[in-house]
Amino acid sequence: MKRSTTAKAWRKPLLTLLAFAVVLSFCVQLATSYSAEALTVTTTTAKSNQASGNSVVGGQPTRVTWEAKVDEGEAVSSVTLTFPAGSSFADNANVQATILYQEDPRRAAQRIEVEQSYELDGESVVITFGELIETDYVIRVEVHNVALPALGGEYVVGGSYVDENGAIQTLADSPTITVIGTTLVDRIITWLDGQKWVESWNSVLFLRIFFNPQLIVAAFPNLFFGWLRSLGLVLLGFPLAIPFGLGFAFLRMSRLGILRFLASIYVNVIRGTPLFLQMYIVIIGIQIAGASFNSYFLGVIVLAVNSSAYLAEIFRAGIQSIHKGQFEASASLGMNGVQTMFSVIIPQTVRRVIPTATSEFILLYKDTALLAAVGVMEMMMFAKSMAAVSGNMTPYVVAACYYLVVTLPLTKVIANFEKKLAAADGTTSEPPAKKKKRVGLFSTSESNAPDAPDALGALGAPNPPGAPDTSDALNAPSNKSTQNVKKAQNAKKEGGE
Amino acid sequence: MLLKKKSILVVLTSLIMALSLALIGCGGTPEATDGDAADAQAAGGDAAPTEMILVKEGKLIVGSDCDYPPFIFMDGAKPAGFEYDLMLEIGKKLDLEVEYLAPQNFDSLIASVAAGSKMDIGVSSFTINDERKKLVNFCTPYFDSNQAIVSLKSKAYTNASDLEGMVIAAQSGTTGADWAQENIPGITLKPFNQTSEAIAAVLAGDAEAVVYDEPVAAEHVAEQYAGELEIIQSVPTGEQYGFAVSKDNPVLEAAVNQALLDLKADGTFDLIFLKYFPGVTPPSLR
Repeated sequence: MKRSTTAKAWRKPLLTLLAFAVVLSFCVQLATSYSAEALTVTTTTAKSNQASGNSVVGGQPTRVTWEAKVDEGEAVSSVTLTFPAGSSFADNANVQATILYQEDPRRAAQRIEVEQSYELDGESVVITFGELIETDYVIRVEVHNVALPALGGEYVVGGSYVDENGAIQTLADSPTITVIGTTLVDRIITWLDGQKWVESWNSVLFLRIFFNPQLIVAAFPNLFFGWLRSLGLVLLGFPLAIPFGLGFAFLRMSRLGILRFLASIYVNVIRGTPLFLQMYIVIIGIQIAGASFNSYFLGVIVLAVNSSAYLAEIFRAGIQSIHKGQFEASASLGMNGVQTMFSVIIPQTVRRVIPTATSEFILLYKDTALLAAVGVMEMMMFAKSMAAVSGNMTPYVVAACYYLVVTLPLTKVIANFEKKLAAADGTTSEPPAKKKKRVGLFSTSESNAPDAPDALGALGAPNPPGAPDTSDALNAPSNKSTQNVKKAQNAKKEGGE
Repeated sequence: MLLKKKSILVVLTSLIMALSLALIGCGGTPEATDGDAADAQAAGGDAAPTEMILVKEGKLIVGSDCDYPPFIFMDGAKPAGFEYDLMLEIGKKLDLEVEYLAPQNFDSLIASVAAGSKMDIGVSSFTINDERKKLVNFCTPYFDSNQAIVSLKSKAYTNASDLEGMVIAAQSGTTGADWAQENIPGITLKPFNQTSEAIAAVLAGDAEAVVYDEPVAAEHVAEQYAGELEIIQSVPTGEQYGFAVSKDNPVLEAAVNQALLDLKADGTFDLIFLKYFPGVTPPSLR
C-alpha cells in the first residue's frame, strides 16, 4: 500500500475488467460444459486394420465405434459425426447405430429397436433416428470402412447433434484414436492389393487359401516373434532336460534294483503317454489346482520333463554301446567307477549320442506347437490367431517355413555328423555280417553320401555296406555304432507318438 | 525276399499317395462348382440354387463349440442348451434330423460353414458382424447380447480401465477378444480354444480378466463360478446372434428363417427362451 496514487488510479478499472473477464469465462465454461454434458461421448475406438499387428493404420479402411450417452433432460433426434480432415469413406462404407439402455454398469444392457437412416457427406456421417433418443440411452454408432488420415497421429471424432427442440448442438470432442502411419509391410500389402497378377493368383482357390501373397507378407514379420518364443521354449527346455536325462540314465543302470525300478517307471510313464496329455495335466491342471505360474515357464517344464525321459534312454543306450573293454582297460589303469565314467566313457558317448540327441531336439522343437492348445504364446498360436482373423491357411504355411528354417539345417548337421562317425568307426572291428541297414523309402542319401546308391537305392534296394544311411535323419540315424541308440529312438516312436 | 517286401511297401505307399491326391482333387471339385455358381449369380443370371443343399440327405448337420452355457454345452456326451433345443424344433419344422458334430474349434467354425462340406449350419452364439458376413450369411437374429468383463472377486477390479496393460484372456476369434484388443489400451490378449480354458487361466491368475458374452458370463458367475468370479463391467455392445449358413445355400437360410418365424408365432420360441432366460424379454425375431 505504499505505492503511488497514480498506480492506484489505473488499478481499479483493471480490477473490474479482470473480474468481468473471470465471470465471462466462467459463464462460457458453464455454457460449454452444459452442452458437453448433454450428450457425453464415452467411447471412440477404431478396429485394428493392420495385417501384421494390432494398431490402427491410417489411409486404410477400418471400423470406428463411437458411443455416447444421452444426459439428464435431453433428447436427441440426429447425430452428425465429423471425422478428422483427411479421412475418407470407402465405396462399401456403411453405418450402423444401436440404441441401448443400461441401468447399472454391472447389469446387461437392453437393445432397443429404433428406425434409423444415415447419410455420408464428405468427412461426416449424419444419422437420423425415427424417434427421439431420450435420457440415459446409449447411442452406439459403428462406421464401417472409413479410412482415417494416412498421416499417423492422435485423432478425435467431433460433430454435432440435433436436440428435442430441433436446435443444433456441438458435440464435445471424443476420446482420441491413435493412428499410425503406414508401415513398410502395410505399403507392400497395399501395393500387392492393386496388382493384376495378385488378383489372378488369388482367383485360384488353392493358391488363395494356402499361398495368399498379401498374407505371406503380413505373416512373416508377425510370426517372427512367435518363432522366437517357440525357439526360446526349446532352447530353455532342452538344456534343462540334459542333466535330468543323464541322471535317469545312470539310475537305470544302477546296481540298486529299487533305483532302476523307479527310474524305469519314470521313463516308461513319460514315454508311454502323449506329450499333449502331459501338457494338459501340467498346465491346465496346475492352473485349476490354483497354483499360479507363468504358462510359458510351465511349457518349458513340460518339454524338459518329457525330453528328459527320452534323453535318458538315448544316453543309456549310448553308454552301453561303449565296449566293455573300455571299462576293463580303465580299471586296469586304476581308475574308479566315477573316474571311468566321466573321463573315459562319457566323452565317447557324447560323440555317439549327438545325432540322436539332435533328432530329439528337432522333435521337441516341433512339439512346441502343441503348447498352443493350452494357452502358451508361441508361433502356432500367432499363426492360429492370424488364420482365425483372415479365415485363410497362409499363416500356417508361413509358420511351416519358420519351423523348417530350424529343422532342415539341423537335419543336415546330423547327416554330416553321422558320416564322420561312420568314417571313424570304419576302423573298429565289428563283423560286417551283423550290419543291418534301415533304408528309407524315399532316400535322400545321394546328396549326403557320395558313395550312396543311385536311383536304385531310392527305389528301395539296400544300401551297399559302408554307406551311411542318412535317409531318415529326422526319425532315426542308423549305423553300426549307434545301433542301440537307434533302438531307443525307435522305442520312442512307438511309445510316444 | 527282403527286396520283395520293400517293393510291396513302395507300391503300397505310392497307392496311398495317389489316393490322397485323388481325394484332394475330389475336395476341390465342389468348391469349383460353388465358385461357378457364385459367378453366375454375380453375373446377374437367375442361376441361384433353387434347392436346399445338405451335406447328408435328410439331415441338418450343426457345427458348434458346445462350450457356452446356457446356449450350448455338453451334458455328458450329448449337447444341450437353448440353441440345441431351438435347433431340434427347427429340425422338426424343416423335417430334417438334427445332428450335432463333435465340439468344433470356434475360430475355424465360420470358415467351415463357408466351405459347406462338413456342416450345413453353424450355431455357436455367433455375433453377426461385417467380417463374418463377408464369409457366410446369417439367419434372423435370435438373441440380443452384450459383452462382459469377468475377473476374480478377490482382485476387486471395478471397470475396464483398471485392466490397462494387463493380460486378458478370451476365446480365439470371438467378438469379446476383438473388443478387449480394441478398447483396453496396452493389453496382451491371450487367445484360447474354449471359453472355459480362458476362464481357467483367470482362475489361475495367469490372466487378469476374461471378456466374453454377457449372458454366458451371467450364468457362470451365478452358478458354476459363484463366489469366485464376478462381472466387473457389462459392456453394452448390442450385438445379436445369428445362425451361420453358407452363401451358396440361400434356400436353407430362407427355410430356417421361416421356421424361426413359425416357432415365434406358435409360442415355441418364447417357451424355450424363457426356460433358459427367465425374466428376459424374448427378441421379436425381425
